[in-house]
Amino acid sequence: MLDRLTGAELLRYTGLLRGMAEAEVVSRSDELLAALGLTDARDRLVVDYSAGMRKKIGLACALIHAPRLLILDEPLEAVDPVSGETIRQILRAFVDGGGTVVLSSHVMELVESMCDRVAIVAEGRLLANGTLDEVRAGLSLQQRFLALVGAHDLGTETLAWLRSS
Amino acid sequence: MVALLVSLRWRQLRHQLSRNPWMIVTLVITGLIALGFLAALTAGLVALRFAAPDAAVTAIVLAGTVIVLGWWVGSILVSADDSLAPERFALLPLTATSLLPGFVVAGATTVGGIGTTVALLLMLLGWSVSLPALLSALIMIPVAVATCVLGARVVSGVLAGWLARRSARDLVVIVGVVLLASSGVLLNLGIGALVRVNDVGGAVTTIADIAAWTPMGAVFGVSESVAQGDFLTAALRMLIALATVAALWFAAQGLLAARLVAPIQGTGGGRVRSVGLLDRILPASPVGAIAARTLRYFRRDPRQIVNIVMLLLLPAIFIGLSLMNGLQDESIGFGPAIILIPTINALLTGTIVQMALAYDNDAVAAHILNGVDGAADRAGRLLGFGLIAIPVTLLLCAATCLIAGRWDLLPGSVGSALGLTAISAGAGAWVGSFLPGRAPAPEANPLGRGSSGGVQSLLAMIIIGPITLVLGAPALGFAIAGIWNPALGWVSLGCGVIIGALTLWGGTVLGGSILTRRWPEVLAEVSSES
Repeated sequence: MLDRLTGAELLRYTGLLRGMAEAEVVSRSDELLAALGLTDARDRLVVDYSAGMRKKIGLACALIHAPRLLILDEPLEAVDPVSGETIRQILRAFVDGGGTVVLSSHVMELVESMCDRVAIVAEGRLLANGTLDEVRAGLSLQQRFLALVGAHDLGTETLAWLRSS
Repeated sequence: MVALLVSLRWRQLRHQLSRNPWMIVTLVITGLIALGFLAALTAGLVALRFAAPDAAVTAIVLAGTVIVLGWWVGSILVSADDSLAPERFALLPLTATSLLPGFVVAGATTVGGIGTTVALLLMLLGWSVSLPALLSALIMIPVAVATCVLGARVVSGVLAGWLARRSARDLVVIVGVVLLASSGVLLNLGIGALVRVNDVGGAVTTIADIAAWTPMGAVFGVSESVAQGDFLTAALRMLIALATVAALWFAAQGLLAARLVAPIQGTGGGRVRSVGLLDRILPASPVGAIAARTLRYFRRDPRQIVNIVMLLLLPAIFIGLSLMNGLQDESIGFGPAIILIPTINALLTGTIVQMALAYDNDAVAAHILNGVDGAADRAGRLLGFGLIAIPVTLLLCAATCLIAGRWDLLPGSVGSALGLTAISAGAGAWVGSFLPGRAPAPEANPLGRGSSGGVQSLLAMIIIGPITLVLGAPALGFAIAGIWNPALGWVSLGCGVIIGALTLWGGTVLGGSILTRRWPEVLAEVSSES
């Protein structure tokens, strides 16, 4: 990320590189910054942003040219709950409007609450693929994932010294 | 605890080296430079010892003081990546009292620490003028090393709060690199000033005498007065030296204790004034956006500030040198050839443009993901660079003509400087598309790994150099001829502008088409670790 630009500059830069008209870039970036709660940070360098803020400005950069496909990696990682809900709303509206989101995550609850189709990949191999209900097969996604990948069960003896009573 | 911390330091160094072969190269070069200094020191001491034993003693006091000062000042530069920073131990139940001895020994067993110890041992050669002096110097070696290491810790500790702000760190980096680059001239100036003093020996002795009473030089002053048989002075200086170490010890302990419970965290620069003017002047297109971004990075990225500063400094150094030599030798005067000095910047511009992608590191992905055309990338970067380089070049040309007192030579000066700079930049834009080079990561130590861009940049210079010389020959040649026949300066200006513009265009088109084809490979190259 070009982190020695301010949030506003980075958005403007991304929009112009996409070949968008300047007026459109300005109005959309103001709207995106406001929606993601970054208005206060618009004039600070991205290098000084927290991890969550970097996620948000990254998402804003990905959205500014109104794409039809969005590829995200752990979109809610390190993001505060309020912004997390905003991002969920943005993504749902994006999908309702005909867009497609492909996201990767290790948080099964997030996947269950957001995704229509799920694929489980472990060590480069595709273990399951289908709609959420097909992949879950009656279990929770967490249990199903463990069943497919293989859980690592700790016996009671491991780390026994951690028990303080 | 001491052994644990020392082994920790060395283990970290080993892991760094095994991860990055370029670090080994850097370390070997540093070691060779250190060995060179030690060899020079030995040779100088041996010569002085037999030729002028008294002078040898004076020289040691001065050299020792410089070494101590070097540690203290140098600690500001290297504190950026302190592998034994107190913050790393803040979560462990350790006290400053238990940690400090280990930190001191670890500091003394670094490459610099070992080199210092060896240098101090070699100084015994000079102290061998008398047995008591030799013995006292031997005893004072640990005290001297402790003064170096503790002083460095105290200086970096006191400044840690200030250095935690990124603007401060950037400033240190810039000042450090600029000082390093101009160290030769500074040395020249210092020696020049010394030569002008009539009684050189007397002045040096006086300085050494004063230094021997300061906390930095007292350690060495002890043996000096022992050698002269003045034991009262020796005792007083010993007191100063020991008091210095004790004071530094307690100061270091206090600073360490404070940082263990209240760690200092790096902070950013806060709000930035965005120059909206830049966005209004430059076209709202990919090329304009890249030019504006290039200009912003020239101001916000310390590595690139250094480049821009060097554009002004390198010719300034040469102008200064020719002025100095002119002053010392009235018969030569400042020849009108001084107007050709700004042309020297062509050496820098090619590399600056060629390295532009490397400075972006993995952020260059922004251009690839947003589908930027290679030619737009080249043109934008050249435009941004030109907006700085052209005014700087014109300023330098005007300055040299003013100094030479020959305004009629301005066209030739501008033609040669602007022409060769543009040709070099155009060639750099082309070469940079297939040899982008490598730069240290934005926040990393700029003096560290790969700061020269490694082998790729060297290769690139080998390609850019001849292109600049061949294509720039008309502009340069007519500028030289213009010194005798100023009318030819206008021909030089014409050649420089036309050939320069053509090269810039060629570099943009050729480099752009290569980039458009090779974007992924370029990204892999500039973001690779080794």
